[in-house]
Amino acid sequence: MKIEEFSSDHLDVLKELMNIAMGNATASIADLLQAFGTMHIPHLTITDMDGLKSQINHTISADEKYYVTKQLFGGIIGGEFIFVMTDESAANLGHYLYDVSQPSDADIMDAVIELTNILSSTIISRLTEELNTKVQFFAPSTQIISGNHIIGQDETLNYHKIIIVSTEMEFQSHKISGYIFILARDETITRLRELIDQKLEELYA
Amino acid sequence: MIDTLDHCNIVFDSLENGTLVVDEECTVWSWNKWLEINTGIVSEEIIGKNLKEYYPELDYKGFQRKIRTTLRLATPTFYDASLSNRFITIPRNKVTTSLLTTMQLQVTISPYIPTLKRVMITINDISDLHELKMTLQHRMVEIAKLNNVLKQDKQIIDANLMIVKTDCGCLITDTTEAFCHFFGYENEKLVGRSLSSIFVANKHETEFLLMKDLLQKKQKWSGEMELHKQNGEQVWMDAVISPYLDETNEIVSYTAIYHDITDKKRIELLSVTDPLTKLYNRQKFDEVCEQMLMRKHWTSVNTFGLIIVDVDYFKKVNDTYGHQIGDAVLITMADTLTKAIRTSDILARWGGEEFVILLPDVDMEKAIHAADKYRQAIEQMNVPKVGTITASFGVAVFSYGDTQETMMHRADRGLYRAKENGRNRVESVLS
Repeated sequence: MKIEEFSSDHLDVLKELMNIAMGNATASIADLLQAFGTMHIPHLTITDMDGLKSQINHTISADEKYYVTKQLFGGIIGGEFIFVMTDESAANLGHYLYDVSQPSDADIMDAVIELTNILSSTIISRLTEELNTKVQFFAPSTQIISGNHIIGQDETLNYHKIIIVSTEMEFQSHKISGYIFILARDETITRLRELIDQKLEELYA
Repeated sequence: MIDTLDHCNIVFDSLENGTLVVDEECTVWSWNKWLEINTGIVSEEIIGKNLKEYYPELDYKGFQRKIRTTLRLATPTFYDASLSNRFITIPRNKVTTSLLTTMQLQVTISPYIPTLKRVMITINDISDLHELKMTLQHRMVEIAKLNNVLKQDKQIIDANLMIVKTDCGCLITDTTEAFCHFFGYENEKLVGRSLSSIFVANKHETEFLLMKDLLQKKQKWSGEMELHKQNGEQVWMDAVISPYLDETNEIVSYTAIYHDITDKKRIELLSVTDPLTKLYNRQKFDEVCEQMLMRKHWTSVNTFGLIIVDVDYFKKVNDTYGHQIGDAVLITMADTLTKAIRTSDILARWGGEEFVILLPDVDMEKAIHAADKYRQAIEQMNVPKVGTITASFGVAVFSYGDTQETMMHRADRGLYRAKENGRNRVESVLS
């Protein structure tokens, strides 16, 4: 099955499922962290590595420092969850979660990991639940890097066709915001299409 | 249920990582063998007690929030695995390095018995991985420092040393700023051009061929070169040209390093030049004559000649017209002889109104013939105020066993004879 066969219908279904997953994430964060935020409508694209770079460059400032957390997930569908926060947002998150005016680097790092955990598990878990499958999450890692280093040169060989789900999350009252990118490669795109087909059959049977 | 939990504890004990079970209040329900060994706390002691009693420094607000998240989302949560990891402290006994004195932990909190609000915490020792990361970071810092030094060195070299790099076909691939500045070119305009195309009019063909030969043999060549700047100015360079070979011993490129020795060459030239006539002086003539005598291949038919030339009635010219006119006669003589001799001949001012000429590869007949040609050339000169003048010539050719002194002596006798026989003549003396 060719990746190109991922039709606009498939994208529409996936977009709808992602909307549900995002809503789930917002509710979980409100419940677990007592933070009430909003998630923007996710943007879905199938592109290549250059397209990914272009989209990241369009969203993220190349020279600014960011807390970038990457977490892999695997299973029938697998990929990479990336959560990007500015220095300022990360510090505000550390301040909020640890209830200290000047959070330490360790506070900030741990707070970023914690929020990423919640975001990835709620979004991906809900999506996979809707598609009747399961995923395994791997330990995330956070780096403080400039925007132009989010995608390394060595990573360009890892993906051929990439599906990008991107959105922005905001807790305006706490001045916390971040960008979410969910990336998956060729095999997952194919399997995702198959799972969406099954879901459609289920719905219209 | 109890049996199942016991069974789980047996499994936990066999694991090569730390595994503990706690509830939302941080009460410990399981503590495996790995933890017993590495923390020194036995399970019988800690089970049923609160973790806070043993690890009061742990941030329990964050920890309990993670437990709650794990249970609520039914999915694992993780501690930050970086150096700032703040889970329990476990000492590390590595002796060979002291980079990490406590274990670097990767901590995962997974749902265990959600109904009892219990989670399982797995602790993996990733200290070796972190040590490697720290070592790598340290090396990266060192490399960055070295790169900085190299960059500074490159800037110094670029600004001060004249270097040209070419490919194996001698097409320029790069030049230093110092080279471009000295020769009056722009780097961009030189790249892709042949090195020989910018250094036209190389007068030292023999040296050029020798250089080419050595380089083709993949050897380094060094020597002096007479080159021209873009504006035509002549300069002397001390050059070293080295081929760069690849692992299969094939030439990949050449590097030429030039050093300006024009001033040194000028001083050298001054030390061997007669200031009035600009011909070689006696010292240089002695040196060249000595080299000529040392050549082994002279035979009776292939030898070299020595001619002494003396201006006739020069004292009278000086007395009549003054020394300035006398000097003008000597300068005109030098110019006339320079034009008349072969390129291989060596002409020098011996002193006063006397000149000497060395003629390689001649026999006596050819030497006399050459001397007479020079005599006629002088006879046809016209010196302002003085008019025509003449000169007398004494000729000698090398014979086996000759020294400079014996040859000079015979040529001098020939000159004396020419003077005696009426001047404006060529006379020779055989050995």
